[in-house]
This record gives sequence, structure tokens and C-alpha cells, in this order.
Amino acid sequence: MGWAWLILLLATYPWLLGADLASDTLASSSLVFFISGTCLIAPCRRLKRWQAILFAACLGFLFEARRPIPDGALALSLVAVSIFLSSNRQLLRNTPGMLWAAAIVNTGACLIWFVASSHVSPASAGDLVGHLLVQLLLAGVVGSVALVPIALTQNATLDRLSIPPAPDTP
Amino acid sequence: MDQNRQGARASYVALSIFVALWILIPSAVRRFNREAFVEFQAPALLLLGKSRDMATFWEKKSRSVEEMAAAGRDLARINAALEIKINALEDIRRENVRLREITRYNVPAEYMSVVARVATRDSSSWWQRIVIRKGRNDGIRPGAPVVFGNTVVGRVTAVHLTTSEVDLVTSPGFRCTAYLEGDDQNRIVLVNGVASNSLGTAKARVSVIPHDYFMPAGQPARVFTTGMGGVFPSRLVLGYLDGGTYATQVGNFKESLLIPSRDLYNLQEVSVLVPLHQNPGEALMQGDQFQ
Repeated sequence: MGWAWLILLLATYPWLLGADLASDTLASSSLVFFISGTCLIAPCRRLKRWQAILFAACLGFLFEARRPIPDGALALSLVAVSIFLSSNRQLLRNTPGMLWAAAIVNTGACLIWFVASSHVSPASAGDLVGHLLVQLLLAGVVGSVALVPIALTQNATLDRLSIPPAPDTP
Repeated sequence: MDQNRQGARASYVALSIFVALWILIPSAVRRFNREAFVEFQAPALLLLGKSRDMATFWEKKSRSVEEMAAAGRDLARINAALEIKINALEDIRRENVRLREITRYNVPAEYMSVVARVATRDSSSWWQRIVIRKGRNDGIRPGAPVVFGNTVVGRVTAVHLTTSEVDLVTSPGFRCTAYLEGDDQNRIVLVNGVASNSLGTAKARVSVIPHDYFMPAGQPARVFTTGMGGVFPSRLVLGYLDGGTYATQVGNFKESLLIPSRDLYNLQEVSVLVPLHQNPGEALMQGDQFQ
């Protein structure tokens, strides 16, 4: 089904909105509740590669839209990750593999937006290593913890769309 | 398997070409793309804000009659006190108008006040922002100051159809000139947001404080806007100086941190002061969504 990626994006959006709400409550601590990387894991197992690419790009652009991050920095990075994951589906065959992937992808994507933002910010990045580490730790933990419920929602949506479990080769 | 690898390689090549094109295409295309994704999310944000208001409404509606009566009594007392204040201010206004007529003083640009509810807050090291539920449709323009009472909250940085993004006073992108309380010579200092590096409260930096300035004893010194530059009206409170001042590395001036006078992350409603006439700074900001 050609529009599966878009329907899946709409099904995933409440999770992104929930993450925005959590960021709202964490606002006084200057931490962002980041889950865009995690949302990418389950779809990369079942969607076709081009669908996973479009899904990843939209995930990235949705996060960037209301934040001062250089255009496309996160979205294009997530696209590269989606190409890698959809070409190496054997990495995502079991739950521990998915959990590892979620933690790594979410932390990596978080690092990318943090560094990219420093380029458009007038402030210096000198003293922010500590804060970066806290943000990355949060992204890693959230990435792992949120994977299961997000993946359940996404898999249920894909089942309803009659998308078969993806073969090892796309 | 080879087909899979070839497909992956082709995808990487396509992505590289797309990245090159993405960098080369006119910024208007990128801005359109960003705007499209913002507008896609706007209804959800509005719904979120409205459901919050609804929850507050029902929470208040569930209160007892005695509580409401007590609140009404308190409000009546506050109203009475405010009425006296309004009369005093009216006298001052009349006096002000009379003096202006005598001196033929040019009236500064007036502002149109647009009250807006806060939809969501978002902060990181690189930005401290709130999203408000008013946008281009309500006449809000980029660069407009955002206040709560006589306190500066921030400045509008990006305006969409039904929502706007506001950079808070503590955001690294925020800067303005200010006067310090207790400085009789009204020398100008600079206020700019600081990239937040801790889990504590975000603060701004006050720099170019003259060496011979000393804070008033026994109370934190307030920091006021100067009204220069045409963005913020004068004498609005930006915040308080945090503790003492310290000398800069060069040693010519002193610096201090600024604590916003309100908890910026607990605001439910703000006022956007939209200038009736577009000023040059505003014209420069249009099209620059990052400042």
C-alpha cells in the first residue's frame, strides 16, 4: 500500500505530540523529550525502503519545524539511518536488537540536532558538554523505554493496513 | 542479497545528490517546507491548549460555592484597590498629554495589544521558547514584544497562520538594551540570553555594567527596558540582577546574571504588543526565522 507511510505517520503523531507535552513539563530544566529516532525503528522492519525514507524525512521535519535547527539537518540524517536500517533488517529481528537500535539511533539523532543547533545559535558551546551528556542520556533512556509502546502502536497500524512482515531482503 | 546492497548503495547516492540539491535550492523552498510542517502541527497544538483550558475550567467549576464566594469577595477588594489606582493613572495621563501639548513632543509609536494563550513551552540549551495560540490571522508580526503586565516575557521570532513562536528573555537569541535601578545617570547596559548548561533556572546576562555602579542596598536591582530601538516600550521590567556584579576579563566593565521577574515557564497567558507602524528592525526580521 503506497500511502502506508503517511497513515503510519499520522498514527505515530500522537506519540510525538506526547513527547512535546513531556518537553513542556521539562521546560524549566532545558531538556527535550526526544523520541523521533525511536519512532523510526519499527517501521524500518516492515515498510519498503522508499516508504521508510519518506517516513523518516517527515519525522525529522516535524521535529525541526518549530525549533531553530538548520533546515534538513535532522531529517536528512534520519533518512540516512532509515536507508541503513531498511537494508540491514537482520539487525532488527529480535526485541533486544530493536532496543539497542532505538537507544543508539535516538541518541545519535539527538546529538545531531544538538550540534546542528549550535551553528545557528549566537551563544558559545564551550560550557555545554555536561548538559549535552544529560540530554543524550535522557534520549537514550527514553528511546529504549518508549520503543515497546510506540512499536506496538505502529505494528497494529501496519497490521490493519495488511502490510506483511518485511522479508530479510527489501 | 546483492540486489539489497545495490539498492542501498543507490539510495545513499540518491541521498547525497538530494543533500547537495537541498543546500543549493533557494531558501524560500526550505522556508516553505518548514512552514508546511508547522501548519500541519498547528491544529494539534491548538487542540492541546484548548483541552488544557477545558480541564482548568472543569476543575474550577467543581469547586464549592463557599470557595467561589470567598474568591469573589477577594476579587471585589482587589477591584476596589485597582479603581483607585486607575483614577491616579488617569490624572497622570492627563498631565502627560498637557505637557506633551506644551512641548509639542512627538508621541512614540503606539502598540496594539493582542492577548494570547500559551499553547506549549519548549526549551533546550539552544532555545527557550513558548508557542502562543495567536498568529498572522490575528495581526501578530515578527519582532513584536511579548509582555505579561509590565514584565517582558520575550519577543516574537516566527509567526504562522494561527500560532507564533516567542523567544524568551533567557533564550540565547534574545538581546536588548536596558537601564539599571539605582543608576542615576541612566547608563545603558546590554541584556542577552545565555545558553543554558544546567538543570537550574535559565537566566540571561547583563553586560557592559559601568564600573562605578553599585546595586541598591537591601533589595535586588531591577532591570528596565530603555525603549531605544523601537522594539520594546520603555520602563518595562526585564528582571532582577542576580546577586553581585563581577568584573569582565578585560576589566573595563562589570557583568551580572539576570533573573526574570516571573517564572516564564508557568505563564498561561501573555500580551503581544504589535506596533501599529512597522519599524525598520521588524522589516529586517521578516524572512529570518532564526533570529
